[in-house]
Amino acid sequence: MKKLFSMIARSWGVFSKPSKHISLGVITCGAFLAGIIFWGGFNTALEATNTEAFCISCHSMEENNYKEIQSTIHWSNRSGVRATCPDCHVPHKWSDKMAAKARASKDVFGWLLGTVDTKEKFEAKRLHLAQNEWARFKANGSLECRNCHDYKSMDFTKMSEKAQVQMRGAAERDQSCLDCHKGIAHHLPEMDTTAISELGKMAKNLEGHSFEVGKEYYSLVQTPLYKDEKETEYLGVLTPATKFKVIAESGNRLEVELVTWHKAKGYGRVLYFDFAKNIVQATLSKEASQDESLFVRGDKREDDLTGLPWEQVTFTLWVDKKGYEENLQNIWDYAKGAYQTTCSVCHTQPAEGHFDANTWVGMFAGMQGFVNLDGDTHDVILKYLQNHSSDYSKDAH
Amino acid sequence: MFNRDKKSKNENVSVSRRSFLKGVMATSAVAVIGPSLLVPNTASAATIAERAEWKLTGSHWGAFRAKIHGGKVTEVKAFELDKYPTDMLKGIEGIIYSPSRVRYPMVRLDWYLNREKSDTKQRGDNRFIRVTWDQALDMFYEELERVQNTYGPSGLHTGANGWRATGQLHSCGSHMARAIAMHGSSVKDVGDYSTGAGQTILPYVLGSTEVYAPGTSWPLILDNSKTIILWATDPVKNLQVGWNCETHDSFEYLEQLKDKVAEKKIRVISVDPVKNKTQNFLGNEHRYINPHTDVPFMLAVAHTMVKEDLHDQKFIDTYALGFDKFLQYVQGETEDKVEKTPEWASEICGVPADEIRDFARLITNGRTQLLFGWSIQRQQHGEQPYWMGAVLATMIGQIGLPGGGISYGHHYSSIGVPSSGAVGAGAFPRNPDSGKPIRHESKDFKGASSTLPVARFVDALQNPGKVIDANGSKITFPDIKMMVFTGCNPWHRHQDRNKMKAAFQKLETVIAIDYNWTATCRFSDIVLPACTQYERNDLDIYGSYRAKGLLGMKKLVDPLFQSKTDFQIFTELTKRWGKSKDYTQGKSEVQWLEQLYNESKDANAGKWEMPDFHEFWKEGYFHFGDGENWTRHADFREDPEVNALGTPSGFIEIYSRKIARFGYEHCKGHPMWFEKEERSHGGPKSDEFPVWMQSCHPDKRLHSQMCESEAFRATYTVQGREPVFMNSADAKKRGIKDGDIVRVFNDRGQLLAGAVVDDNYPVDVIRIQEGAWYGPEDESIGSLCTYGDPNNLTIDIGSSELAQATSANTCQVEFEKFKGKVPAVNSFGGPKEVV
Repeated sequence: MKKLFSMIARSWGVFSKPSKHISLGVITCGAFLAGIIFWGGFNTALEATNTEAFCISCHSMEENNYKEIQSTIHWSNRSGVRATCPDCHVPHKWSDKMAAKARASKDVFGWLLGTVDTKEKFEAKRLHLAQNEWARFKANGSLECRNCHDYKSMDFTKMSEKAQVQMRGAAERDQSCLDCHKGIAHHLPEMDTTAISELGKMAKNLEGHSFEVGKEYYSLVQTPLYKDEKETEYLGVLTPATKFKVIAESGNRLEVELVTWHKAKGYGRVLYFDFAKNIVQATLSKEASQDESLFVRGDKREDDLTGLPWEQVTFTLWVDKKGYEENLQNIWDYAKGAYQTTCSVCHTQPAEGHFDANTWVGMFAGMQGFVNLDGDTHDVILKYLQNHSSDYSKDAH
Repeated sequence: MFNRDKKSKNENVSVSRRSFLKGVMATSAVAVIGPSLLVPNTASAATIAERAEWKLTGSHWGAFRAKIHGGKVTEVKAFELDKYPTDMLKGIEGIIYSPSRVRYPMVRLDWYLNREKSDTKQRGDNRFIRVTWDQALDMFYEELERVQNTYGPSGLHTGANGWRATGQLHSCGSHMARAIAMHGSSVKDVGDYSTGAGQTILPYVLGSTEVYAPGTSWPLILDNSKTIILWATDPVKNLQVGWNCETHDSFEYLEQLKDKVAEKKIRVISVDPVKNKTQNFLGNEHRYINPHTDVPFMLAVAHTMVKEDLHDQKFIDTYALGFDKFLQYVQGETEDKVEKTPEWASEICGVPADEIRDFARLITNGRTQLLFGWSIQRQQHGEQPYWMGAVLATMIGQIGLPGGGISYGHHYSSIGVPSSGAVGAGAFPRNPDSGKPIRHESKDFKGASSTLPVARFVDALQNPGKVIDANGSKITFPDIKMMVFTGCNPWHRHQDRNKMKAAFQKLETVIAIDYNWTATCRFSDIVLPACTQYERNDLDIYGSYRAKGLLGMKKLVDPLFQSKTDFQIFTELTKRWGKSKDYTQGKSEVQWLEQLYNESKDANAGKWEMPDFHEFWKEGYFHFGDGENWTRHADFREDPEVNALGTPSGFIEIYSRKIARFGYEHCKGHPMWFEKEERSHGGPKSDEFPVWMQSCHPDKRLHSQMCESEAFRATYTVQGREPVFMNSADAKKRGIKDGDIVRVFNDRGQLLAGAVVDDNYPVDVIRIQEGAWYGPEDESIGSLCTYGDPNNLTIDIGSSELAQATSANTCQVEFEKFKGKVPAVNSFGGPKEVV
């Protein structure tokens, strides 16, 4: 027994030599055993965190994100395929998964600290949380979406023409899905609180005012257009500073008349302010622009400068009761100020009457990228310039 | 590696050995000193030298950290986020401490004696008298009053804008424009000298000015292009400078492109008479073409594309208008009734017909990106090659695809680097605040135009009342009596010095505000010393147009001599009619900085959490980071109806009815070949003046900025003169050796320059880079330029009735070895002070 012990001790000594306190052998064997136990346990534990049940075990997730997805196509659809939380939010590649887990461990602290334990707290954080996920999808080209939705397997011919145009282009650029498809599984964050335009503020201040049938108003922001008083899907969008006449009121909507022109070529989806003037009043879906029940045709003429046929069209559509301006000059005053400030940063801004309405489009387009204008302000400055261009202004030179 | 010198010219350097060595030592020290010395270590500050401070600032040449020791900038080191700094950083110190600094307010001697009745023939004699700031600003104000009262707004021209020093608060053009507009109206300019023809023609064709527009991201080009055509463009040279602070991010992609060229993954062809810096860097193929003949070459390419059915008819039908009319011209059915065959073009452009055909086949085989430079639109009929380029791109049918289509800006200000999308700092307001009274309300231009095409101002001085065509309008030249320039050097950028000299004699008063004594100061009556950007605090975006981050520009040293910031100068000027509070809005420099910063911070909220101003200022910069890839015109390609172009029709206009109806002789309904006033290789005037002189943007300056930087200038001058690059056969024929002083001349003027023999240049083509400081022997018309400003020789005619832009690159000259006594260079060193 003693001999045996000394033999073991001797061979053990080989292992024990380099270290004074813990021998290499202990380290090696111990680490090996621990590795087996840990790895198994780790993977088991990790797998557990990859189940839907784990995700919604926290109150906030169950109350918000989980409830929201239940009304979307990713929850129930005719094929019976369901996307669960980890399908979209946990990367499938091991190294990315570990990184995601490390990041998500923050959420556990958040849960402990009660960072988003009420609806209000969650809503306040929603934009931030969404932006993190959007950034991740942006970086990996929406990889988790594309595990199921692959450009290569899409049959574009089965899509509507409108969808085809978008999807073919996206496939060509190998575009990330989330570039366009945001807010499809959970509600979109309230984003206009952080980036509300000045025109948006003007519109908000005018909210709640009553409307007079037969009277004309002007849009202040990009305004959705609907087919009737109830339909939720919109047919197009009015640009700011577009005139419409109220012809009826119903609930939260106004029936409005838009007297415009369009090019009698292609679908005529873009509605313009005047004959042969590229001053955009509204953009419609292909379906709406072709729906004869929505508009009455008027005068038709060819524009001599381009050879394109133009047609007057009067649309009758619906808009939500929001804030609209009665006095166009108020909008132009804002636009003029924005033009003079923004466009003089690099150079002397040309006089409004220096170009005609159609030339302004090209001049203005060339300067984009130098100024960061919100969509409404961009549209309204261009329309201001066009409406005060040499075509309409007396003191042009 | 981007600044590889062709050869050493040390033996020809005429600066003193001491100043030369000083320059060399200053620059080599940059490489030796490591970052450990960047932080002042007061704990162990044993010597004074170790107490030196390092401060971060920016410039057109890039951001840098400067060592301040003994109240002076003693060393300049590139900003660590700039991975490809330009060699020109070595010239910064020489700008601050140039012997050409404007030290004091100065008034031209005869103007001082006789005011507006001075003998203007003396203008340019460079004799000046020193006055106090109060005297100078009183005179400035009295002249504004006199001109508004006597002549009204049409008598005053203040429209000239140049490459102001960087910084959004002190942007000098804004200060001058605001102050003078608070006093009264004046004549303004439209367009610029860089892209005048391009920015006028392209809105008719592609619906935007294009030249400064965001371009397809380099990563997409590198991933998708099979062929890249560098059409008269030299990005490796020109991307060294930016309109805002550069960080040279484009060079990362140019390096990748170089690798792809070597691996034969992308075929790159430079279409250029000269083997340029980019071609030498990338090691790509060369497509020689005779100067001025791009349009015949392109017409023949189009002819081949149609004949061999290589063009994309479906794309043309969907996205463009007027191809049929253009085709009739190509096939010889209209206009000159000449079929534009490769054989026809070959005679003009010097390219064998078969090689033209091969070129057509190449650019229609797989994804082809056309990248155009600006030089071919800085010539007579400069509208045509740009229009024709757009037609070729349309025929190829790849506009709106990544790595396809056409760009007119990838050589400039980081265009093609993905944009961060961040909002930079705004600027000190250029316009008077609305609702505030203007001292002289009159807007009566007496029937004349209030805005001139920028490059026609000398014509206006000479011919008041004359009516010219410009971009569909009639322009009536005003009777200009007084001009004000700030941070702008027309005596560099404008053409035909001798014509200018005569025209300037008609002016009663000229005022220049600048930090170094340019030729514009020499030809002015009152000169005010502004400080350099390194002597004031400011804010700028870095990464140039693509906004990689926001930079706090620290004042490095106090304003030298009696120089002041533009903010101070115009605050004190407006005080003269009691409006300095309106001018500054009652805010100090630092309050303005904080406001401009906070506007940026607020605009970026939600995307970037920027620190408060003081923390930012301490840190020195805020990095926005990289942006996303983007393809030019992709939206139009996707949906041409909703995302219509800004052309009258919304489509690409191969034929423009609008232009056709202007009825111009040299810009008609579609691109055409027009013979030039003068042209080399058998063209007009080439018997008398056989050599074409190109005056492209310099490699070692920003236009005329930094020419006054002595030690740095000495690294490239030849016997102290601006280099003239020439082919060895041309040199030999004239008995000229590398390093000789030569006289270059034509019927417009003459200059001295130093010969650099370089076979990157073909026969009958020479280059003198623009921005070389004008140094006439005396004020008389026709006098010899002692340094080598190429605009002594260039022609001052409009590109056409459309753009009326500069035609600088239409220029025939002859040259010879200079014999006789060589006059000293007199461009530098400031005025002759009369006491």
